[in-house]
Amino acid sequence: MLKVENLNVYYGKIHALKDISFDVKEHEIVALIGANGAGKSTTLKTISGMLRSHTGSTTFCGEDISRIDSYKLITKGLAHVPEGRRIFLQMTVAENLEMGAYTNGGYIKEGLEDVYNRFPRLLHRKNQIAGTLSGGEQQMLAIGRALMSQPKLLMLDEPSMGLAPILVEQIFDIIKELHSQGTTVLLVEQNAGHALEIADRAYVLESGRIVLTGTGEELAESEEIKKAYLGG
Amino acid sequence: MILFFQTLISGLSLGSIYALIALGYTMVYGIAKMLNFAHGDVIMIGAYSVIVAVMQMNMPPILAIFVSIAFCALLGVIIEFLAYKPLRKAPSLAVLITAIGVSYFLQNIAQLIFGTQQKFFPKIISLPSVTLGTIEISGITLATLAVTAIIMIVLTLFINKTKVGKAMRAVSEDKEAAELMGISTNRTISVTFAIGSALAAVASIFYGATYTYIKPTTGSMPGIKAFTAAVFGGIGSIPGAMLGGILLGIIEQFSKAYVSTTMSDAIVFAVLVIVLVVKPTGLLGKKISEKV
Repeated sequence: MLKVENLNVYYGKIHALKDISFDVKEHEIVALIGANGAGKSTTLKTISGMLRSHTGSTTFCGEDISRIDSYKLITKGLAHVPEGRRIFLQMTVAENLEMGAYTNGGYIKEGLEDVYNRFPRLLHRKNQIAGTLSGGEQQMLAIGRALMSQPKLLMLDEPSMGLAPILVEQIFDIIKELHSQGTTVLLVEQNAGHALEIADRAYVLESGRIVLTGTGEELAESEEIKKAYLGG
Repeated sequence: MILFFQTLISGLSLGSIYALIALGYTMVYGIAKMLNFAHGDVIMIGAYSVIVAVMQMNMPPILAIFVSIAFCALLGVIIEFLAYKPLRKAPSLAVLITAIGVSYFLQNIAQLIFGTQQKFFPKIISLPSVTLGTIEISGITLATLAVTAIIMIVLTLFINKTKVGKAMRAVSEDKEAAELMGISTNRTISVTFAIGSALAAVASIFYGATYTYIKPTTGSMPGIKAFTAAVFGGIGSIPGAMLGGILLGIIEQFSKAYVSTTMSDAIVFAVLVIVLVVKPTGLLGKKISEKV
């Protein structure tokens, strides 16, 4: 579904991504794990056109999307929940969700119902300004907003960041549920343990390079991973 | 008492003009995060385009008004496209200096075409004045107040209720996140410039009708005052621009009537300084602390 080949991305002179290649097949959950600054978010930003790669290409559903304007990607079925959630803090919960369906207007009514079913807490707060939500609710809103476009591929950047352990469990349950309903997921996580648990396959990034790859299980068992990311 | 009410009404009327212009400043700032110092000169172009349409092309006034509004909207979009869009990623100082450059450019173009002499603004709005007790309110003042009120209501509904309006708020909050929703920031910025410049054209018609003479530098003073009004109300805030504009007009007229005509501008700016010292974000400007 998504094929990334030889991405090289620079921030000024800093070589942030070095020959990154990987792929995501339909109905998979693929995780990119690695430490802070390894290039995980940079990879997602490059896929969604917020950053440009010097070389290589990104293919989504058979179409080269490496030169397409960022705002056109959502109509192709690619949704990106960015790091830090980036919901519209001054707009209401319902307005945030409507913005998610900006290119998918016919789906607003049905989509709102679907999102409120998944996240009943958002229904109670639908007319509240999003800035007043708790961190966990904001993450739910960010995921809900992305679902409003009915994406084929959902890219999640650190969905568990800054959340209490019980909320982390909830967020991962939601991801599993979305996956079981047919959404393909590309997940970026620092929380390697959780990510590997739900991922079909994973790639480990280190200083802008992919250093390891395997199924979630394999990597969770690997000594290197245990040492570096799972605390022993 | 008569003086008080007359001053209040002339203050409201002047304030309405400031508010219309301030809306352009504040919307552009909110969306594109830049101060468009050429905005005042769009008023001047709007006024000249009415003069040309009525005097030289013999258009009926109502048509001339709409032609002027459309022309300014288009001009705003073209200015943005040619001067500001290439600087989207440039430091804000470069954009600011470019805006000042565009301002001088428009003034010089006007001088080249119309000369430096002031031109008479045709009497395109002739409305009967209304007498309330002992106070006489001119037709043009009433029209200014009524039209501004309608524009403010429509604009507020547009921003809060329509898809394009909501997209504008989304872009103003977070451009990248808005793009991820499928909103084109470039198109949103163009729409903002079109609306802001159209409002400047409306202001120019009332300005011309009230002050009756236009010259190439006509736009700069109301432009600066409206910018002040936008900062006063909280730059980036639409209700702030409305409130700031109206208050500024009222303060100015009351200073003229009760204190001193020559000191009125000084008083206006002193009030601005005091407001900014007490509340740096302006009257309705808000700072939301982000959760990380």
